Amino acid sequence: MTVMNFVYGFIVLLAAFIFQTALTGVNRKVTARIQKRYGPRWYQQFLDIFKALRKGSITHGWVFDFGVIMALGGIMATVIFIPVAGFEAFPNMDNVFVISYLLAVGMLGMAMSAAGSGNPWASIGVSRALTNMVAYDVPLMIVIFTLIFAFDTASVSEIAAMQQGMGVLGWNAVRMPLGGIVAFIALFGMLGKKPFDSFIAPAEIASGPMVEYGGKHLGFMFILHELMTFIEVSLILSLFFGGGSSILVYAIKYAILYTLVNIISQVMPRFKIDQAVKFFYRVPLVFAIIQGLVVIFLGWGVSVWF
Amino acid sequence: MTLITVLITLLTLAAVTYLLSLVNSKLGAYFTIVTSLATIVMLFLIKDSIGQSYSLSFFTFKLTTVGWYFSMVMVTVYFTTAFLNPFWIKKMIYPAAYNLFFLVSLIGTIGMFFARDFITLFICWETVVWTSTFIIQMGKSRKSSYVYYVVSAIGSMVTLFAMMLVYQVSGTLEISTAFSALSGQPVLALIVFFTFILAGLSKIGIFPFHVWLPMAHGSAPHTFSPVLSGGLVKMGAFIAYLSVTAFAAYEVFANTFTIMGIPAPLYIIMVLGAISIVVGTVMAIRQDDAKKLLAYSSVANGGYILIGILLYDQIAFAGGMLHLISHALASATAFITIAIVAYRTGTTKMSELGGMIHRMPVTYTVYLIAIISMAGIPPMGGFVSKWLILQGLADRGLLFLAAAAFFGSIGSFMYVFRPLSAVFLGQLAPKYEKIKEANIMMQIPMYLLTIATLLVGVFPNVVLRVIADIQLEAGIQEIVLVGNTIVVSNGVLDALRVFIVFGYGFLIALVIFILRRKSRRVTLMDTYTSAEFIHTPELLHYSSNFYAPFERLTKKPYPVLNLYEKVSIKIKEIGHMAESLFSSSKPAITIFWIIIVFAIFFLGGVL
Repeated sequence: MTVMNFVYGFIVLLAAFIFQTALTGVNRKVTARIQKRYGPRWYQQFLDIFKALRKGSITHGWVFDFGVIMALGGIMATVIFIPVAGFEAFPNMDNVFVISYLLAVGMLGMAMSAAGSGNPWASIGVSRALTNMVAYDVPLMIVIFTLIFAFDTASVSEIAAMQQGMGVLGWNAVRMPLGGIVAFIALFGMLGKKPFDSFIAPAEIASGPMVEYGGKHLGFMFILHELMTFIEVSLILSLFFGGGSSILVYAIKYAILYTLVNIISQVMPRFKIDQAVKFFYRVPLVFAIIQGLVVIFLGWGVSVWF
Repeated sequence: MTLITVLITLLTLAAVTYLLSLVNSKLGAYFTIVTSLATIVMLFLIKDSIGQSYSLSFFTFKLTTVGWYFSMVMVTVYFTTAFLNPFWIKKMIYPAAYNLFFLVSLIGTIGMFFARDFITLFICWETVVWTSTFIIQMGKSRKSSYVYYVVSAIGSMVTLFAMMLVYQVSGTLEISTAFSALSGQPVLALIVFFTFILAGLSKIGIFPFHVWLPMAHGSAPHTFSPVLSGGLVKMGAFIAYLSVTAFAAYEVFANTFTIMGIPAPLYIIMVLGAISIVVGTVMAIRQDDAKKLLAYSSVANGGYILIGILLYDQIAFAGGMLHLISHALASATAFITIAIVAYRTGTTKMSELGGMIHRMPVTYTVYLIAIISMAGIPPMGGFVSKWLILQGLADRGLLFLAAAAFFGSIGSFMYVFRPLSAVFLGQLAPKYEKIKEANIMMQIPMYLLTIATLLVGVFPNVVLRVIADIQLEAGIQEIVLVGNTIVVSNGVLDALRVFIVFGYGFLIALVIFILRRKSRRVTLMDTYTSAEFIHTPELLHYSSNFYAPFERLTKKPYPVLNLYEKVSIKIKEIGHMAESLFSSSKPAITIFWIIIVFAIFFLGGVL
């Protein structure tokens, strides 16, 4: 661990932020076109974030501030561990459990800060967000567990590398189709896209956890959201869609995956939170277990494809 | 210094504590701190003589690494919890007895972990059960101590049966040699295995023996709940350890039906562990009482420990053993913080509390770190142990156990956040406006436990080296440790590096935050309320039915509780019948007995 690792980490962080924020801006335009609007300019998201950071804000006590800092800190640390097209700022630290549990630090910080505001809408939002997490994460973790068993490694970059060189047929989403479906559906839950967006439902619970934020706190939340999106999409991309052999391929695949999720979510209604739990435990959980049994007992999709 | 000296010294100190408590109960309570500290020191002194055997009349002991490890976990919990004793001792009905039992139960556990023969094991075990039963009775309800005693008694009697069975076959009471006589008799071995492990299952709160935990933990005196959950529950893990080492379940059942390489009897117990994880998690999410919530979380974590230890391999076993200490620390801390909140406010009901952070920031921070560990989030101790267990399960491909483990670990985010939000965050009710932070004496254990949790999380290899020794002692492959890194076949973890990078991220966020404009402080009531005017803080605090949608999904009570209710009603009926036969003033009963006596008197010879 040298100073260069930290410099690389900072570069990954900056690149991830810029790339994802630009992509969000583009997707705001895509959304607008689906809804037959013109839409904002592609860099509008940057303007929003920097404007929020410049404005004055209110605070409800030290935990309101501390939670925001802890959330962003945890999420930034997670981004640093994400391998991008085989490049890792800190080598050998891309364990999938480390990434998915370190992500939880950020979520806990955000939940803590939101509940610390004293607004019941925020608490309701947090309660829904945590329930949502229990819904999507269990099937997803079972599929990831299957991958670890199949490839005998929990390193995200190694799992990504093993899928490369065979084209589309090498992707885990194709080799293990049921697992791929689970991961793709779980991505909607992770990103809080419709139909699983009841925890931030703006018209219903006044944006839930975000209700009390303004000024720099809101700017932090925007940055947090962009980085979290980057982590989640990257994780699914590397584990199930082959990652990328070069930065360019990675970026293109990433953009396609994210835009696809966004387009699909635009034509979806919203699940109530208990409907979301029921759905995830009826369909994706069963798929995940069947996929796990197939891989563990039959060995299909592990080493031999053709 | 020998183990015998240690035990005798401790018994003397316990007696001294009792006598002091008779004079001044508060002084005696302070003496419990001294005695438990002395235990830690003495355990360190005897560490060098590991491997030696001792005997005292018919008690025989053997100093083992695993016993030493378990004792250290136990005594750490006792020592830190003892700091609370002076503040609660006035509330106990029998203060002197409380102090005595507190220490005797500690001595009992140490004796049990070093026991070399069944009699010593059983006597020490029963000492702990009896003393803790009497302590639980000094809490909120008597019923809970009955339930605790009945479940414990069923467990220990069945285990005693197993011990006698083994004695009959082998002719010896020494634990390590007695079990070897079972090798040629598979049916007998099966009976012994299930009966022997039952005491462990009932103690660690494995489904369906978990019913006592929420009752006993919830209503025990606040100073004893941390010990129950952090310490005494772990005695069950020791029995599980004995069943795979001394009993050698993997060798005894090697020829039976195996599931993914695990003998079926062991797999059944592990499935029970998995069910406990799910049941504990779901029930914990539904609780309103913070202590009951933490008790159910102990049920869930007991499942992890049991699965880890029973897997008995390089990775998951180390994880189970590490989870023992990380959960003991986290759970004791969480119970202590809730105890302090209850000391200041008089309640543990989450729907009646709120906003404690504004009055008790230290308690809040300590609770936060405890739950980060309990939920298995880096950089705390609970993460490393759960990581090892999950990696171990993934290595073996145990899908269903892993599914339960994932559900428990993600569900734990839900239940640990509930007290954080409902007790500490949110609106502060006006009636709690005047309450104070915990005093220095109560803060000491919180600091100690928090530092320990963090150290286990950042430098897990210090503990894992001891666990590697245990693995060596048990004859399985040791966990591979390179410097600060844990290396397992399917992954590596450098906990220190995770901590440093987290600190780096936190620093960047902090710098950005400080560089921006300072924000304006507003009151808690100054929030967005959709243009409604609400002036009552209690109404603006979201704490009851926190997970209403999830509770709706899981509202059906599971069948075991109904079964227990029915059995207890039947037993009560039989008891009432027996009682009415002997202690009734009704003439009919008297005549009934006269007829019986006459019948025996006249017809006795004929029959």
